[in-house]
Amino acid sequence: MEQTNKLPEKVKYDLKFAREIYSLENGSYIKQCMQCGMCAISCATRDIMDYSPRRLFNLIKLGKKDEVMQANTFWYCTSCCTCLVRCPRGVPLVDVMHDLKKYALDNGYGDYPQAAFYKAFWAEVAGRGKSFEGGITARYFLFRGLDEVLKYMALRDVGINMLKHRRLPLLPPKKVKDLGNLKKIIRKARELSGKEAR
Amino acid sequence: MEKKIAVYICSGCGIGDALDIDALSKVASKEYKADICKSDAFLCGKNGLELIKKDIAEEGVNTVVVAGCSSRVNTDVFNFGSDKIVERVNLREQVAWSHTGDDEDTQMLAEDYVRMSLAKLKNLNIPEPFIGENLSSTVLVIGGGFTGLTAALESARAGYKTVLVEKEAVLGGYVGKMYKQVPMKPPFTELEENSIPALIKAAEDAGVKVYTSAVIAKTAGGPGMFDVTIAQNGTDIEERVGAIVLATGAKPYEPEKLGHLGFGKYGNVITQSMFEEMVAAGKMEANKVAFIQCAGSRDQEHLPYCSAACCIESIKQALYVKEKNEEANVYVYYKDIRSNGQYEHFYKRAQQEGVIFIKGDVTDISESDGQLTIEADDHTMGTKSEADEFDLVVLANGMVPTAALGDLVEQEAEEEAAAASDEPKATVPPVVKSNLLNLEYRQGPELPALKYGFPDSHYICFPYETRRTGIYAAGVVRAPMDMLSAVEDATGAALKAIQCIESTIKGEAVHPRSGDMSFPEFNMNRCTQCKRCTEECPFGAINEDAKGNPLPNPTRCRRCGTCMGACPERIISFKNYSVPMIGNMVKAVEVPEEADEKPRILIFACENDAIPALDMAGINHIQYNPWVRIIPVRCLGSLNLVWVNDAMAKGFDGVMLLGCKHGDDYQCHFMKGSELAEIRLSKISETLNRLGLESERVRATTVNIMDYDKIPAMLDDFAAELEELGPNPMKDFQ
Ligand code: SF4
Ligand code: SF4
Ligand code: SF4
Ligand code: SF4
Repeated sequence: MEQTNKLPEKVKYDLKFAREIYSLENGSYIKQCMQCGMCAISCATRDIMDYSPRRLFNLIKLGKKDEVMQANTFWYCTSCCTCLVRCPRGVPLVDVMHDLKKYALDNGYGDYPQAAFYKAFWAEVAGRGKSFEGGITARYFLFRGLDEVLKYMALRDVGINMLKHRRLPLLPPKKVKDLGNLKKIIRKARELSGKEAR
Repeated sequence: MEKKIAVYICSGCGIGDALDIDALSKVASKEYKADICKSDAFLCGKNGLELIKKDIAEEGVNTVVVAGCSSRVNTDVFNFGSDKIVERVNLREQVAWSHTGDDEDTQMLAEDYVRMSLAKLKNLNIPEPFIGENLSSTVLVIGGGFTGLTAALESARAGYKTVLVEKEAVLGGYVGKMYKQVPMKPPFTELEENSIPALIKAAEDAGVKVYTSAVIAKTAGGPGMFDVTIAQNGTDIEERVGAIVLATGAKPYEPEKLGHLGFGKYGNVITQSMFEEMVAAGKMEANKVAFIQCAGSRDQEHLPYCSAACCIESIKQALYVKEKNEEANVYVYYKDIRSNGQYEHFYKRAQQEGVIFIKGDVTDISESDGQLTIEADDHTMGTKSEADEFDLVVLANGMVPTAALGDLVEQEAEEEAAAASDEPKATVPPVVKSNLLNLEYRQGPELPALKYGFPDSHYICFPYETRRTGIYAAGVVRAPMDMLSAVEDATGAALKAIQCIESTIKGEAVHPRSGDMSFPEFNMNRCTQCKRCTEECPFGAINEDAKGNPLPNPTRCRRCGTCMGACPERIISFKNYSVPMIGNMVKAVEVPEEADEKPRILIFACENDAIPALDMAGINHIQYNPWVRIIPVRCLGSLNLVWVNDAMAKGFDGVMLLGCKHGDDYQCHFMKGSELAEIRLSKISETLNRLGLESERVRATTVNIMDYDKIPAMLDDFAAELEELGPNPMKDFQ
C-alpha cells in the first residue's frame, strides 16, 4: 500500500514549531514517538491521509508547520483508538489529534469540511448543551459557504428518510437546565487544559 | 582391571512391549558371555537399583551395562561409584520410542546395540584423572577497567586469591574517565555517578592484589598451572595462577579514518571520548549539538559490526547537554537506535527531554565561522535535510577489541605449507600479535579470534570461553557490549575461571565435557612427528618438545578426541574412548546378507547436538528408518577414517556423519570438529572409488538440536540414494 504522500522538499530542522506543538495539552507525547510505524499500519483511514500519524509527528519535529497544518491527517482521524492501544510508546494519538485540530482551528487552518463540522457541532453543544442536527447543518453550510449546499443535494434522500423516521427533528430541542453552569464547566476545562500541557 | 560384566535390561518405559527381552538377554549371555544378565520392569526404581547394587556387592560386578534409557538421562541414578564402569545401551529413545514395536527389524536393531556396547567394553577402562603438580587456585584478571575490576571483585568475594594486572598507572580504564555513567538499575532513566572509584575501593577491600603499569610478558603452562611473567617498571614478577580472565577492553575506532564526517578537518567535530573528557573537565559550552551514530560501525568500509554501546552512550551525552541547558538543541543522527533491553527506557527519557532523533545518513558536514552544517538523507521522510549552526558534532566512533590490535601472526612456515598443499586443510583461525597474553603455545601467542578479532569461541553455547582452556574473555574485548552486559560478562567469566580451577584440581575436564576424567594418551614410540595433532587440536593443548615430538598439556585438554581422529598412526587414545573401541562397535553389528534385502547404514553422531536431537526424536515418538545403527562420538573431529573403512569392509551400505554446522553463524562445540571431519572425508572418496565403492556412500550432514523432526526425512533420503546405488558389493565377503 503506497501512501498518498506529499513529501516535503529538503527540510531544515527547526524546533520553533515543534516546541509550540509540544506545549499543547498532549503535545509533548509526540516527543517520545520512536517512528515504529505501528500507528500507520493500524490506522483504517491511513490510505486517504496525506501523512500517516508517524510521518505527521516526524514533520512536526522537522518544523514543517505548513505541511503539518494543511495536512488532512488529523481531520481524517476517526478516533477509533486502534493506534492508541497499540502504540508501544504510549502516545495518546487520539488526544494528540484533537489537540492538533484545535491548534489548526485557532491558527486559521480550518479549510477542511471536517473543520467546519467540528466548529458547527461545538457551537451547537456549547450554546445549548445539546446537539441539534438542523442547527449543526445550518451552521456547517454557513461556515462552508452556500455553494456547498448544492453538492449535498445528492444526500437529500437520506435527509427525507431520516425525517420520516423522526431521526431529524425540525424544531430545536430545549436548552439544558442551568446553561450558566455548563459554561462555567467549559471555562474551567479550558483553563485546566492549558495548565496540564507539559 | 579384570572386568566382571553384568547386563541389566530394563523392560519399563515401553521397552518390554516393543522388544523380545529374552532374545535380547541371549545376545548378552550366550553370544557375548556376559557374566550376569538380568532384566527388570523398572530398573531405575528402588528394586531395580537394589538388584544391581546387590550384584556389585555380592558377585563382585565392576562393569554394569544398563540397557534402558538414553545415557543423557538418569546419570545420577545409575552411578555406582568412580571405580565401576557404567555403559548405557539406549533401548528407549533410540529403539522402542522411535521404531515399530514387536517387529523383526526393531528387534535386530536392539540386539545390535547390545552387541555394540559389549564389544566396546573389551577395550574400555576406567580413566585415571591427570592431576597436575603444584596447582594454583588464583584467578588472574588482565585489565583494570570496569569489566576487569568487576571480575576481580567477584572472584575475590567468592574466596579466590585474585591478581589484577593493569597496564596504565591508574585503574579505571575507559569508564574511569567518564563524567557520568549510563543507568545500571531501574528505572533505567537516570544518569549515574561514575562507579569506578567505588569499584576500586571494593576490590582493594576484598583483597585483590593489584599491579599497575604492568603487562603480561609471558604466559606458560595451562589451567591450574599457568606461569605468568608480569613486567612492571623493568622488573619481572612471576605468578602461578589457575585461570585467567582477559578483560583488556576495546579502543575507540580511529577517528582519523572518519574524514568524511569532518574529523580532523573541523575542530568542532570530536569523538565520544573527547566529549566525555570535555564535560568531565567542565569545558562543554555548546548549546546546539549533533551526535552522529555508527561513525565507523556497521559500515563495510570501517567496522562491519555494531559496537553495541555507542547508542546509549550518545543518549547519555545528549542528556549531559540537556542537563546543562534545558533549551539546548540536540540532534542524534542514527541508522537504528540500538538501546538493547532495559535501555529502551533510557532512549525514551532522552526523547522526553526533547532530544531529536533523525533516522538518516549524514552526507556532508561543512563549517563556517566555527559553526557546522550537516546535510543528511532523512530516511523516515525520504527527503534531504539540512541543519546548521551546530557548535559541536560528536561522532559515535565505535570500538575495536584490544585483541584485534596488532599484526596477524604469519601462517605456518613456507615449507610446511607446501608439503601439505595437496591436502585440504581446515581454516586456521587468525591469531593477532596483540601483546596481551604472550602465550608460550605452539599455536600462537594470543587467543585465536572468532570474528572481527573478537576472541570468543562459541557465542551460543559457551560465552566467555575462548579457544584456550582456562582463559576467559570478558567485556568489550570479547564482544561489543554495554555496561550492564559487561557486569554479566565479568561475573560469568569469573565463575568460569573458578569452575576451571576446581575441575582441574579434580582432574576433570571443563565444559563442554564437564566432569570427564579421561585425557589423551600418546603411544610415543610410533609417532612420526607429523604434527597433525599439534595443529588440529582446537584448544592448543599440544605443544612440541625440543625434539619435535608432541608434548601434551593435559590440563588444557577438553577431551574432544580431535587429536585422536587426526593421528594417521592412531597412537592417541583415551582410556574410555579409542579407535579400536569404536572399530569394535562397527564390527559387532550383524550385517544381513545381500539376499535378505536389509540394508545397513552406519551413523556417527556427535554427542553435542546430533545425539540429543536423535533422543528428542525418540521422546516425541517420531519414527525413523530401522536400517540405521548409531554410534555416538565425542565430536566429529574424533572421526578416524579407519572406521569408515571398517564399515565398508563389514558390508554397511552407507555411512553418515551427523555433526554441527560449522562456520561463523553456528559452530561446532569443539570449534573445528565437524569441519575437520568433512575435510577428512573428502580425502577418503578417492580411496573408495578405487575400491569400486561409490564415494556417495559416505556423507557428512549437519544437524542442530532443533532439527529432531527433520531426522526421519534425512535418513530416508540417504537410504533412498543408497538404494539407487545398490547394495555394498563387499557385503557377502566379510
Ligand atoms: S505507534 Fe506510537 S511510537 Fe510508533 S510510530 Fe506511531 S506514535 Fe510513534
Ligand atoms: S527410565 Fe530407564 S531405567 Fe528407568 S524404567 Fe525407564 S528405561 Fe528403565
Ligand atoms: S550502538 Fe548504535 S551507534 Fe553504535 S554501532 Fe550500534 S547502532 Fe551504531
Ligand atoms: S584435540 Fe581435543 S582431546 Fe586432543 S588434546 Fe586437544 S583438546 Fe584434548
